[in-house]
Amino acid sequence: MALNLDDYYLPASLQEATELLQRYGAGAMVVAGGTFVHGLEVRGLLTETVALVDISRLGLRGIGASSKGGVSIQALTTLAEVAAAPLIGKNPALAAINDALHYPPRQILNAATVGGCVAAAAPLYDLPAAFLALDGQVQTSLAGRQRSIPLDEFFVGLFESALQRGEIITAIDIPAPAARTASAFLKLETNANDLSLLNVAVRLTLDKAGNCADCRIILGGGVGETYVRATGAEAALRGQAAGEAGFAAAAAAVVDDFEAVEDHRASAAYRRHIAQVYVRRTLATALARLG
Amino acid sequence: MKTIELQINGSTHEVSIEADETLLQVLRNRLDLTGTKKGCDSGGCGCCSVQVDGKVVYSCMMYAAGAAGKAITTIEGLGGGGTALDPLQQAFIDAGAVQCGYCTCGMIMNASELLATTKNPGEDQIRHAIAGNLCRCTGYTKIVDAIKLAAARTGG
Ligand SMILES: Cc1cc2nc3c(=O)[nH]c(=O)nc-3n(C[C@H](O)[C@H](O)[C@H](O)COP(=O)(O)OP(=O)(O)OC[C@H]3O[C@@H](n4cnc5c(N)ncnc54)[C@H](O)[C@@H]3O)c2cc1C
Ligand code: FES
Ligand code: FES
Repeated sequence: MALNLDDYYLPASLQEATELLQRYGAGAMVVAGGTFVHGLEVRGLLTETVALVDISRLGLRGIGASSKGGVSIQALTTLAEVAAAPLIGKNPALAAINDALHYPPRQILNAATVGGCVAAAAPLYDLPAAFLALDGQVQTSLAGRQRSIPLDEFFVGLFESALQRGEIITAIDIPAPAARTASAFLKLETNANDLSLLNVAVRLTLDKAGNCADCRIILGGGVGETYVRATGAEAALRGQAAGEAGFAAAAAAVVDDFEAVEDHRASAAYRRHIAQVYVRRTLATALARLG
Repeated sequence: MKTIELQINGSTHEVSIEADETLLQVLRNRLDLTGTKKGCDSGGCGCCSVQVDGKVVYSCMMYAAGAAGKAITTIEGLGGGGTALDPLQQAFIDAGAVQCGYCTCGMIMNASELLATTKNPGEDQIRHAIAGNLCRCTGYTKIVDAIKLAAARTGG
């Protein structure tokens, strides 16, 4: 890739990585799986980059149960490793994660990392939409200080996140889901090589009577510069019976939750239409998992 | 320039590279391992596929410096690295799965991971696995046949 690099570094510790990132400042960029570096370069976003700091030797890889009954996915875990993780695969509450991993080619699943997928802050990416629906938290480290950022506050704009310069994502934590919870993710694309038209990720929790006790509905893809939380659709469904009528109410409300993008792939009107269809389908998929 | 050590097909190669060279560039231009092909150079076609620690990746999307110390396998390393063919290579010939041949090495490197991890993959599994590899000639049917044939010959 045609960057004008002074050097490519492979630090062996977080401290060494931090020192390099501080030394180069705006001239350094972290590389994990490296699959988005080309994408950044062709958009002209790496003209100042003179040092790549490859963090793939820092460990930070694997998936475990977190102390509060949730799941913690370390940042350097590859997408293929997430797809194969038993802790995630068998749990209907986390099923949106595996749904979102259905789309990338094998070569990307093997190389791309969870941290890179989130840090890229590209609303077209699938997995972060699923993490958002699951109310995930980003764990970071900056010069030895750790902090936790709710994903709801993480995505600031297109390719812009709440990360400060030199701050490294160390893990994504998914909180323990409530009882009777399921999730799902669906994507609409015109072909497997193109960017998506629209993505929907949901998490649905039922009460004893089968009503929607809680839900989170996230839109990604052609919805603008960042992911959108469809709060109007969520409000329309909360407290309603989880079924066709409630899902239709959520679908009807979703059109007011986002500004549909208009481009050569689809008109804004089509995207508004398809958002309703996909919100309904994604909710129905989640509900079926509680069967 | 800096010198790095790459483990390729079981041998250690010391090679001087620029910091921004991809694994694909180093394999082809500095080590003459030209079985790995350059197509789109941007993750869209799959003909640069190699295995790193047994996992198929796009070598155009990996920096050579980042591959240091990892076990890299290219098409030249299949079948024991000599003139003997890997069952997948033989099956591609026998099934008529090669036309211009430009996609073939990447397809085989991909299918080789699939067969190492999945016994007797079904048609859907094969097609899903090779989704990141484009072929402009064959229409894929014979490629899928070849992968099935290799799976059958190697006992699933
Ligand atoms: C051919 C192709 C097909 C794809 N298909 C899909 C698809 O179907 N669905 C989908 O969702 N995505 C898809 N993608 C996108 C893919 O998911 C991303 O490229 C990938 O997740 C990025 O992860 P990475 O580890 O490779 O990141 P890198 O390329 O290494 O890094 C990306 C960015 O994140 C920063 N970064 C990385 N790790 C960290 C960290 N731990 N802390 C702080 N900053 C960090 C880097 O500095 C860089 O700015 C595709 C990409 C390609 C090339
Ligand atoms: S050359 Fe690497 S994917 Fe096309
Ligand atoms: S045989 Fe020509 S591209 Fe596949």
